[in-house]
Amino acid sequence: MIEVRDLTKKFNGKTVVNGLNFQVQEGEIFGYLGPNGAGKTTTMRIILGLLRPTSGKALVFGDDLGSNDELRRKVGILLDNDGLYDGLSACENLDYYAQLCNVPDREEKIRDLLDFAGLTKRKDDKVGTFSKGMKRKLGLARAMIHDPDVLFLDEPSSGLDPEAQRMVRDLILHMAKEKRTIFLNSHDLDEVQKICSKIAILNRGTIQAYDRVENLRNKFSNPVFEITLTDAANAKHAFDLLQSLDYVSDCKPDGLGITATLKEENYSNILNELVGNGIKVEEAKKLAKSLEDVYLDVVKEDSS
Amino acid sequence: MTLSKIFIVAKKEMMGIIKTKSQMLVGLLFAMWFSVMTAPVVKTVDEAAVFDTFNNLMFYFVLMLGIFMAYLFSGKVFFNEKREGNIETLLCTPLSLRQIWSGKVVGVTIVAYLIALLAAVLMTIIANIFSTSMLLPSPAILLHIVLVVPAFIATAVGLLGFGHLLLGMRENQIINISIFIVIFFALSLTKNVIGAGFVVSWIEVGVLLMVAVLLLALISYLTRYLSKERIVTTIT
Ligand SMILES: Nc1ncnc2c1ncn2[C@@H]1O[C@H](COP(=O)(O)OP(=O)(O)OP(=O)(O)O)[C@@H](O)[C@H]1O
Ligand SMILES: [Mg+2]
Repeated sequence: MIEVRDLTKKFNGKTVVNGLNFQVQEGEIFGYLGPNGAGKTTTMRIILGLLRPTSGKALVFGDDLGSNDELRRKVGILLDNDGLYDGLSACENLDYYAQLCNVPDREEKIRDLLDFAGLTKRKDDKVGTFSKGMKRKLGLARAMIHDPDVLFLDEPSSGLDPEAQRMVRDLILHMAKEKRTIFLNSHDLDEVQKICSKIAILNRGTIQAYDRVENLRNKFSNPVFEITLTDAANAKHAFDLLQSLDYVSDCKPDGLGITATLKEENYSNILNELVGNGIKVEEAKKLAKSLEDVYLDVVKEDSS
Repeated sequence: MTLSKIFIVAKKEMMGIIKTKSQMLVGLLFAMWFSVMTAPVVKTVDEAAVFDTFNNLMFYFVLMLGIFMAYLFSGKVFFNEKREGNIETLLCTPLSLRQIWSGKVVGVTIVAYLIALLAAVLMTIIANIFSTSMLLPSPAILLHIVLVVPAFIATAVGLLGFGHLLLGMRENQIINISIFIVIFFALSLTKNVIGAGFVVSWIEVGVLLMVAVLLLALISYLTRYLSKERIVTTIT
C-alpha cells in the first residue's frame, strides 16, 4: 500500500534522508519514530508528493501521490499545521474540505465529525477563537472528512490533553479495524507502543530499526530480570554472585529484590546458578521491555 | 469537474474576503475616495471639456482601483495561506496546483472587480451631481470597464499569486512594499494622464485589452514553473 524504496532526499546538497526502505500494508498502523530533525516530516512530505525525492521512490497504491490528483482522494492528512482557516467557523472549515473532496452527504458527515471532536457546541464559532487542542481535534476531523483509506498523521497528539490523546488513540485503532492504513509520525513512545503494529526508528536520516514492535523489543533491548530473595542474607549473597557473572551487565539491589540486566537471554542459567549456590529465591520474573528502552538503545547505539 | 473544483475555491476565497471586515472597509473607503476625487476635477474643468475629462477619469481610476484591490486581496488569499501553512494541506487535496491557483485568482478577481464597478457607479453619480450637463461613460469606456478592467485585475492577481507562491516570505514582503509604492506613484500621475487634449478612444481600450489577454496567457503559462516542492520549501 505504501512503499518506500531507496529513498534519498537532499536539500542543497545536504542529505536529510538516506536510502530509506520500508512498506506499510493495508490495515497496518505504522509508527515512524525518531529524534527531532531525524527526517520524519520530510519522509512524509515526500510520500505525499509535496517534495520530490532526490533519488528512489515513494508510492502509495502503486502510484505517485504528487502527480495523481484523483489518488489523493484516498488520502487524509494532518501535518504540523492543522490546515484550518481562522476566519471560517468549524463547520465552514469542514464543509470546504468536504466540497473539495466531493463528499456525498456532507451535512451528515460534518455533524458526525463535529460530534466526534466534541465541538458541536462551537460549530459556528470562528476557528481563530479555538484553543490549540481544539484546533488539533478539528484538524483530525478535517483529515477524515472524506473517509480516506490511508491517514498520514504527523504528531497528531501534540497539544492535546490526556483525554483527547486517548481519543486520538481510540480513533486510530478504530480506523485500523476498518482496514484503513495509518502512517503515524510520533515522539510519543507510549502511544506508539500501545497502537502500532509495525515501527521504524529513524535517526539522522537513516532507518536504524524496522520491524514489528514485539520483535524489536526482543532484538534490541537487553533482557532484564527482577529477582526477589527470601531474606537479607540471601539477597546479599545473590547480589555478590550476580555481579561476578560475566553475562550480567548491570545489577541493582533494592531491599530484598535485585534487578539484573543481562547481556543475552540467559534466564534458566541465572536461576540454576542461584539455586546451585544455595540461594533461596522467592520470586523471579522477566521484565517486559518498553519501547522507550528499545528506542533509546537504538538511538544511542547510532550516535556512539 | 475541473471547473467545479475551481469554483469551490473561488467561492471560499470570495466569502473569506467579504467576511474580513477590515479588508472590505479599506476596499470601500478607497472606492469612495476615488469617486469623491472626481468632484473637484469635474467642477473645475470647462464645460466643453467636461465629457472627455470625465471619461478619462473613469478610464484611469476604475482601472487603478481594480488593480489596487487585486493587490490588497491577493496578499490575504495567497500570501497568508502560505504564511499560515494551510497551503500544504490544500496541496494534498485532489486539486492540482493550477486549479488552486485558478480558483484563488477567480475569487479575488470577482471581489476586486465588484468594488471597481461600485466605484464606476459612484463616480458617475458624483460627477453628475457636480456637473451641469448629464455625464455618462462613452461606449469605449464602457467596453473598458466591462472587459479591460476585469482582465487587468485577473492579470494582476494571477501575477501576484504566482509570485507569492513561487517566492520566499522575505522576497514577498519586499515585492508587496514595492508594488504599494508603484501604485501610489501611478496615482500621482493622474493629472498627466487625464490632462486636456487627450481622449481615450477605442484604440487605447483595444490595445489594453490585447495586452491584458497576452499577459494572462503568459502568466497562465508561467504557472507551469510552480511546483509543490517550491511552495513547501519557501514557506519559512
Ligand atoms: N526545506 C528545507 N530546506 C533545508 N533543510 C530542511 C528543509 N526541511 C527540512 N530540512 C532539514 O531536514 C532535517 C529533517 O527535518 P524534519 O522536519 O524531516 O525532521 P523531523 O524528524 O520531522 O523532526 P521533528 O521531530 O522535530 O518534527 C532537519 O535537519 C531540517 O533542518
Ligand atoms: Mg516533524
